[in-house]
Amino acid sequence: MWKVAIVVLAILVCIGVAAAKDKVVIGVIGPMSLPEGQAEKNAVMLAVEEINEQGGILGLEVEVVVGDTKLNPDSATAEFRRLATVENADMITGGFSSGVMLAMMETMAETKTVFLADASSPAHPAKVAENYEKYKYWFRISQNNGTTFAWDLADMLDFLNANGLNIKKIYVIRDEHIWTDAVMNDLKPLLEKRNIEIIKDVQVPKGYTEYEQLIDEAESLNADLIMPILAIAGTGDVLAKQWGTLKPKVMLAGHDLAAIDPGFFEKTDGLANYEIFIADGGALVTAPPTEMCKKFIEAYKQKYGHYPESHQAYGAYDAVYIYKKAVEEASKAGEQDPFSPDVVVKYLEKYDPENPIELTRTIAFHKNHALAWGDNYVRNWISQWQDGKQYIISPKTVANGELKIPPWLAEEEQKTPETTKATPGFGALIAIAGLSIAWLRRKTK
Amino acid sequence: MKAAIYVILVVLAAIAPFFIPEAFVYILGLSFLFIILVVSWDVMVGYTGQVNLGHTVFVGVGAYTAALLQSPVRLQHLLGFTIPKVPIFISIISGGIIAALIGFFIGIITLRLKGYYFALVTAILPLVFMQTVFVWRKVFGGEEGFSIGLENSLSNTILGKYYIALIIMVICVLSMLFIVKSQIGLKFKAIREDEELAESIGIDTTKYKVIAFIVSSFFAGIGGAAIIHYRITVSPDLYDIPLMLLIILSAVIGGLGTIYGPVFGAFIIYLAKNWWLKEILSNLLKIAPIPINDDMILYLMLIVVGILMPQGIYVELKKRSWIAKKSNSSI
Amino acid sequence: MIELVLKIIVFGAVVSGIWALVASGFSLIFGVARILNFAHGTLFVLSAYFGIVLVKNIGVNNYLAFILGILFVGIVGVIVFKLTISPIKTHEVMVVIVTLAIALLVEQFLLLIFGEHGISFPSLVGGIQNIGGIKITNIRILSLIIAIATLILLEFFITKTKTGKMITATSQDMEAAMLMGIDVDRIYLITMFISSILAGLGGLLYSQIFATTPIVSVKALIYAFAIVILGGLGSLRGSIIASFIVGYVIVVTITFLGARWSEFVMLLTIISILVVKPTGLFGVEE
Repeated sequence: MWKVAIVVLAILVCIGVAAAKDKVVIGVIGPMSLPEGQAEKNAVMLAVEEINEQGGILGLEVEVVVGDTKLNPDSATAEFRRLATVENADMITGGFSSGVMLAMMETMAETKTVFLADASSPAHPAKVAENYEKYKYWFRISQNNGTTFAWDLADMLDFLNANGLNIKKIYVIRDEHIWTDAVMNDLKPLLEKRNIEIIKDVQVPKGYTEYEQLIDEAESLNADLIMPILAIAGTGDVLAKQWGTLKPKVMLAGHDLAAIDPGFFEKTDGLANYEIFIADGGALVTAPPTEMCKKFIEAYKQKYGHYPESHQAYGAYDAVYIYKKAVEEASKAGEQDPFSPDVVVKYLEKYDPENPIELTRTIAFHKNHALAWGDNYVRNWISQWQDGKQYIISPKTVANGELKIPPWLAEEEQKTPETTKATPGFGALIAIAGLSIAWLRRKTK
Repeated sequence: MKAAIYVILVVLAAIAPFFIPEAFVYILGLSFLFIILVVSWDVMVGYTGQVNLGHTVFVGVGAYTAALLQSPVRLQHLLGFTIPKVPIFISIISGGIIAALIGFFIGIITLRLKGYYFALVTAILPLVFMQTVFVWRKVFGGEEGFSIGLENSLSNTILGKYYIALIIMVICVLSMLFIVKSQIGLKFKAIREDEELAESIGIDTTKYKVIAFIVSSFFAGIGGAAIIHYRITVSPDLYDIPLMLLIILSAVIGGLGTIYGPVFGAFIIYLAKNWWLKEILSNLLKIAPIPINDDMILYLMLIVVGILMPQGIYVELKKRSWIAKKSNSSI
Repeated sequence: MIELVLKIIVFGAVVSGIWALVASGFSLIFGVARILNFAHGTLFVLSAYFGIVLVKNIGVNNYLAFILGILFVGIVGVIVFKLTISPIKTHEVMVVIVTLAIALLVEQFLLLIFGEHGISFPSLVGGIQNIGGIKITNIRILSLIIAIATLILLEFFITKTKTGKMITATSQDMEAAMLMGIDVDRIYLITMFISSILAGLGGLLYSQIFATTPIVSVKALIYAFAIVILGGLGSLRGSIIASFIVGYVIVVTITFLGARWSEFVMLLTIISILVVKPTGLFGVEE
C-alpha cells in the first residue's frame, strides 16, 4: 500500500519540477488601506495591462498578485512570503514604511526574490552594501534616500531666501520615526553652514493632531518657518488646515507626504493654500519630467478616474518596465534563464549613473542599489499649492510656477491690536467658565 | 478516550510537513504558538471566571523581553549596561518569567475588584504598554518594531521551527492541563461557579485568582517569546486589540473552561485568518467587489457567536438544552 | 509666565469640551442600562463620515448635513442596540466583546471604503479670535460653547423632564422602575439614542477641528472609556470632570514634555488614579 503512495508522490514531484514556465508573475505589496498602497497596485496593474497588450514579457503573459502589508512587519513578511513561495512571483515591487521594509528584506533574502522597492531609510541600501550576496535582490526605485531629503530641504531654504524671504529660525515638526532621524542628522550640518537655527524640534507620534498648540508656540518663539518632516504621522492635512485657519506669521514649508496627493487641497477645504512641500519621487501630476510620465498620468486618469494618489505610483510603474527591460536584455545577451533572480540582478545593475534609463523618471542605481539623486535623475521637486493647483517652483529646469508668499505674512506686523482682556471673545469664555463652575458647584452640594 | 484523540492529532501534526508546501508549514507552526496564547487565556477566564481583557499585555511583554535579550544594543539603552546575548531557551523562559511577574503585580492590585471592573481595567493596560513602545523607541523600536536577526531563530529551517514550535506547544498545553486538573484547578472552578460560596467555605479567592493569573501570564509570555524567535521580528501588534479579539474568538468558539476546546478553536481561527479566508475571499471578490476583508468576517463571527451564545459554545452545547440556557436574554 | 498659564487654560478647555460630550454619552448608557458600549467610538466617526458624504457627494448644505449626521448616528445606535446588545445585556463582559468586535468591523469597513487618510467636515465657522495674545480658532470656541450648552441641556433633561426622571429611576433600580409601570425597554432605547447623538455631535465637531479617519473611532473609544473609568462608572458628573482633567493633562504634557508623551502620560495618570481608587474619582460602588 505504501509503495503506491511513494510512487504517486514521486510522480507528483516530477510533474512539479517539469512544469515549464508559462507566465510571468509580478507581485505588488504595500499598505492597501492607504493611498500609497493603492497607487502601487493600480500602477502595476496598468503597466501589466499595457505590457500584455503588446505581447507580454518574452512572449509570456504577465499576471499580477497583490499583498497587503497592513503597515506591520508581521503581516508584511507573511504576505511577502506568500507572494514569493505560494504565488511564485518572479519580481515583487512596493513597500512603504522603512521599518516594515527592513523586515521584508529578511524574507526577501530567504526567498531570493527580486524586490524593487520604496521607503527611504539609508539603512536599506546600507544592508546591500554590507552583505551584498544576501541582499542584492533589493533595489530602490521609488525615491531617493532619506539623506537626500536633507539636501532638498536645504536647497528649498536657499531658494526661499533668494526670493524675498529671510529664513533664520525654523521650527521642526517631524514624524517620530527612524526615517526622520536620518534626515535630521544630515540636515543639521547643512543648516549650520547657512546660519539657520532650529529653535525647536518636535517629534509627533502617528495620528497626532494638536498642531494648533505647536503653531502658536512657533509664532511666539518668532520662528520664520515651520518645517514639517512628515509621512507616517498621517495628519499633514490637519497641520495644513490649522495653519491655514490660524494664519500665523510663519511659513509652512517642508516635507509632507500628504501634500503630494492631488486631492489634498480639497481635503483641507482650501486651507493648504501656500503650503510649500518637496515632492518625493521626482514627479508631480502637474509636471511630468518625461514623455512616458505624461502618458502614464493620462492613462492612469483614464483607467481609474483620478490622478495617481501618491508618488509610489511612478516607482511601481517603472519597476514593471525596468524588470521587463532587464529580462529582455538578458535574453538578448544569450542568458540561459533570463528570469533567474541572479541574472536579473546583474542586468538591473547595468543601469548605473553612466547609463541611466528613462522611464517615467530617469532611473539609475548606485552600487548599493539606491536611486541616483540629481537634477537629471530623481530628486524632490520644490513645489507649492497655489489656488487649488500644485506648481513646481524650483529647480528652474522643471519649474512651472513662481513662489507666492501667503498674503497674511506680507501684511504689516500688527502686535496684538484689539486684544485686551475686554474683547467679546474673552468675555464669552469667562462667562462660560463662570457658568460651568457655578453649575458644577451646585451639583456638588 | 479524549487523550487518545489528541495523541493522534499530535502525531498527524508531526508528519504533516511532508505533505504541505513550505509556506503553509510556516503558518502552521505559528498556529501552534497561537494555541498557547489562547489556552493560557482560558486558564484565567474559563477556570476562574475572571475575564481578562488585557491578555495581550503578557504576550507583548514576553515577546519584547525575549527580543531585547537578543539585542544587547537596545537592552543597553534600557538598562545602562550590557548583557551578552542569551541562549534561546533562556530567552523564552525569561519572557514567561517577566510576564508572570507583571501578572503578579497587576493581579494583586486589580483582582480585588469584582466582575467587570477587572475586565475594564485590564482592557486599558495593553494601551499603556503599547505607548511604552512608541515613547521609548530606541529600546522598543516604535510602531514597526525590530528584527532580532536570522541567527537567533528557533531553527535555521522552517521545518526545524515547526517542530520546535510543536514541542513547545505540547509542553505548555500539557502543563496547563495538569494544573487545572489538580487541586488548585478545583479551587479555580469553585471560584468560577460561585465566588461568594467559595469564600464562605474558606477558599482565599483573591490568592487563587492571583495564582491563576500568574499561570495565565507565564504561559502567555512563553508564547509571545517563542513567537519572536519564530518570526524573528517583534512589533506592537502583539499588544494590540485585534490580537485580543482573535484570542477571545478562538476561546469562545472552542469553548471556555476546557483547555481542549481552545486548542481547537485557536487552530481553526488562526488558520482561517492566515490561510483559508484569504483564499476564499480573493475568489469571492473576483466575482463581486464588495468592501469586505478577512478581518471583517472574523469579527462578524465573533459578534454572531457572542449574541447567540454569550456563555461560550462549549458550555452551551454541553448542557444540550441551550434553549433553556438563554432564559436570561430577552429577544 | 502668565501668558503660558493662560494659554494652557484656554487650550485645555477647548480640547476637553469634545471629550466631555463623548464621555458623557458613554457614561449615560452605562449608568442607565449597565451597558458598556465599546462601539461608542464608531458612532463618533460615523456621524462625520455620513455628514461628509452628504456634503461632498450629494451637495447638501453644511448645516443641514451637520444635523442629519447627528440624527443618522442616533438611529444607528438604536439599531445596533436593538439587534446586538439588547439580547445579551445581562452579560456585561460579552457586551464589551461584541461591541468591540462591531467597532473593529466597522473600522475595517471604513478603511476599505475611505482609506486611512483623514477627511474633514467643512467648518461651520471660519476665522479666529485673538484673545489676550492667544489665537484660538472660532470653531474651537464654538465647540466648547456647544459642548457646555449640550451638557447643561442634558442635565436639565434628566432632572427636570418626565422622561428624564424615568431614566434616573431606571438607572437607580431597574426592577423598581418596572414595578412602577415604567416601560424600561423604551427608556433604554431613548437613552441609547441620546448617548449616540452625543457621540455623533462630538464626532462632527472633532471632524471640523481635526480630521476623521477610521482609526479615530478607536482613539475616541479609548478616551471615552478611560475618562469614564477615571470619573467613575455611573457618574455623569465624574465623567465631565474627568474629561477636563484628561484634556489639561494632555495640554500640559505637550507644553512641558513634548507632543510624543501626551497619550502615554494621560494613560499613566489614569492608571495611577485607578490603582489608588479603582472605582474612579466619583465611582458608585455596586
